[in-house]
Amino acid sequence: MSEARIGVYVCHCGSNIAGTVDVAAVAKWAEDLPNVVVSRDYKFMCSSPGQEMIETDIKELGLTRVVVASCSPHLHEPTFRGACSRAGLNPYLFEMANIREQDSWVTTDQVEATKKAMSLVAAAVSRVAYQQPLESLFVPIDPNVLVVGGGVAGIQATLEIADSGRHVYLVEREPSIGGHMAQLDKTFPTLDCSACILTPKMTNAANHQNVTLFTWSEVEKVEGYVGNFTVTIRKRARYIDEPLCTGCGVCQEKCPKKVIDDVFEAGIGYRKAVYIPFPQAVPNTPVIDRDNCIFFEKGTCKACEKFCPTGAIKFDQEDEIITLKVGNIILATGYDLFDARRIPQYGYGRLENVFSSLEFERLTNAAGPTLGRVVLRDGVTVPKSVGIIHCVGSRDKNYNNYCSSICCMQSLKFAHMVKERTGAEVYEFYIDIRTPAKAYDEFYQKVLGEGTHFIRGRVAEVTDAARQPGEEGKLIIQAEDTLIGKQRRIPVDMVILSSGLEARADAKEVAIKFGISCSADEWFIEKHPKLDPVATMTDGVFVAGACQGPKDIPASVAQGSAAAARVMSLIGQGEVEIEAATAIVNEETCVGCQECIPSCPYGSIEFLEDKKKAHIIEALCKGCGTCVGTCLSKSITLRHFTDEQLVNEMIGAMQSMKLFEAQDLVIVE
Amino acid sequence: MPDNGAGKSFYERVAAATPGGDVLMKCLQCGTCGGSCPSGADMDSTPRQLFAMISAGMEDEVLSSNTPWYCVSCYYCTVRCPQEIPITMIMYTLKRMALARGHYHKDAHINWSKSFTNFVELNGRSFELGAMTLFGLHNPFAIVKQGGLGVQMITKGRMPPVPERIRNMPQLTAILNEAKRIAEEEEV
Repeated sequence: MSEARIGVYVCHCGSNIAGTVDVAAVAKWAEDLPNVVVSRDYKFMCSSPGQEMIETDIKELGLTRVVVASCSPHLHEPTFRGACSRAGLNPYLFEMANIREQDSWVTTDQVEATKKAMSLVAAAVSRVAYQQPLESLFVPIDPNVLVVGGGVAGIQATLEIADSGRHVYLVEREPSIGGHMAQLDKTFPTLDCSACILTPKMTNAANHQNVTLFTWSEVEKVEGYVGNFTVTIRKRARYIDEPLCTGCGVCQEKCPKKVIDDVFEAGIGYRKAVYIPFPQAVPNTPVIDRDNCIFFEKGTCKACEKFCPTGAIKFDQEDEIITLKVGNIILATGYDLFDARRIPQYGYGRLENVFSSLEFERLTNAAGPTLGRVVLRDGVTVPKSVGIIHCVGSRDKNYNNYCSSICCMQSLKFAHMVKERTGAEVYEFYIDIRTPAKAYDEFYQKVLGEGTHFIRGRVAEVTDAARQPGEEGKLIIQAEDTLIGKQRRIPVDMVILSSGLEARADAKEVAIKFGISCSADEWFIEKHPKLDPVATMTDGVFVAGACQGPKDIPASVAQGSAAAARVMSLIGQGEVEIEAATAIVNEETCVGCQECIPSCPYGSIEFLEDKKKAHIIEALCKGCGTCVGTCLSKSITLRHFTDEQLVNEMIGAMQSMKLFEAQDLVIVE
Repeated sequence: MPDNGAGKSFYERVAAATPGGDVLMKCLQCGTCGGSCPSGADMDSTPRQLFAMISAGMEDEVLSSNTPWYCVSCYYCTVRCPQEIPITMIMYTLKRMALARGHYHKDAHINWSKSFTNFVELNGRSFELGAMTLFGLHNPFAIVKQGGLGVQMITKGRMPPVPERIRNMPQLTAILNEAKRIAEEEEV
């Protein structure tokens, strides 16, 4: 490859690279590498002047290969490939050396970091000479969209896309859409009624001509790639014939089996074994809870069947498996509430009148078990004093290290509701009050003005062991009032724990299913925390709402809309470019053993019966290279990752070591 | 190399002298320690306040505070601290520093600690009756107040009247001697 004319560009990345690596020395050193025609360093290679520098050199110096030493290819490989393309150079004749994430950010010694940068550049220069021009494949995008999760974020995304004229399949695990928001009474900071603003959206989503709703359903399997996903959905048996059911509710009324509802009523109310989670549920079709139904347990009862006026009860119904073709997927799977039982000193689950935040939401909800009356667990007594504890399970290395972001505002809302409904004395125990969004601090001011007592101190414990007069029969909240510097014991009738938000218990499994990643706290990871907050590293899979991290309603809705916009932009493009770095079978040497077929995680290898040879479907191949390693006759090559290219990359790196010894390299720190 | 901390700030010396003490800088000032402390009401500063004072470099005030001497090593603070700060260990460090400097709050605190450790060194177990008697020699007034409670505890079987000794005492003595040797080396 002596004819290659290579240009090398070393990026400072401001001080990100140049702070540790002597970038000028790296550029100077690269000038002497084989086939290098020009070598430069520049402050920001990704900026417009940086890209123009590459384009100009390609045209004026006749470069046939380009190496940029900068950040991770994840971030800017498309940028520099674009620059090459614009100057008429095939984008696959470009190679990136990662001297930021793999060097300057992880190596503190400046001399070592500079040497490593030189080695990485030498490896890229040696490799790039063997790279071949490749042509990308374009495949059409299926305009149908899958939205997983029917909470407010999922509903928002669904409606945005459906309104644009595209078809959306909305899949929800529970019997009704609505998510956590449907459980709330009031929403901060404006105190709008949650149901009044959510239920119209739920109805719109269900009745929209462009929406197909699957409730009581879960995604089982996802195959394919951006633009062309095949999704398998398990529609669990409701034991109700949906078209026949009118939603009259007689089955629910007649069902003799009462069950504690620990999902929608957060454990403080009852439902029947055949139930609609709440009167405004969408769809208004009940489900039979097989685990609690007397007929499924004992083989007799069938009260619901006897009374159903339309004969809609179908005990022999089975799960349905549905296969859908979609081009894009939005995950809006939400959060789980932190289980406060994990903090024994707060007494939740042991002390009767310690409530979780969702329990209190149901208590204040006009449609809840107490019809909105704030009362103790006995269902009668109105509390005269209430303590609200912030940061339960959040900002705590023993549980979750992060701030759950909604709890301060939620606690302030609780204080207001308690005052409004009972007139009780309210004590808020907090570490910091965080009210950063629009009109949030004004709400804090309002609650301050209502006479709520704010005690700055994280609660040490909640106990029913009275020590002083006035504590008998009360729950005593013990904390240090840090603004006074003294321990205080506040006797109250009711304690509300402002529990934090956690990733769904099955978030990891879901992430694996959809081919995306989770953080250490198991929230889904976005493509870029600032500039691409709803995309993921997997093209065509987007995230919205609390599944990406703790979020309140306004932020979740904004993300729902954002994800919808990203999807509609892709649909609007009509087709999507598929990475050209795919595997190819050399039919002359392929022996037709078919070992490669099961090894492919994307099902992209087919067997040509007529030729008795393996064949790779390029549109499905993700270029992972598993088949290359599996092939017994070494007949499969991965384009852009050929043996020749990889071996020369290594040779380049190793030769740089020799050069260091020979040159007795001196780098000024 | 033992580090006597010359040239370092008070905060840095406390952190360095405590295993895992470097997380002290992450204190949120949330007050979980002070709220949880069974002796909190008697302390002149809560542990949280001491940490703020340590970071402010108020060495004299911290070392003359009664707070570390009231610590009963129940570890509630350490277990509950959201930042996993080894608070009980820091209390030990502060006690050691105060001792080394003769800078402690009251003679009673140091006398009590010495009475207590005397029996641990002798028998490998604490011996409450003996410790209290020894302490009473230095502080007769303090012990008179506690006498009645002591008699009640003995009659109810909550406090043994004679000391117990662990099985392999020479082994513990060797460990304690080695610990003292290291401590003396570090003091230099």
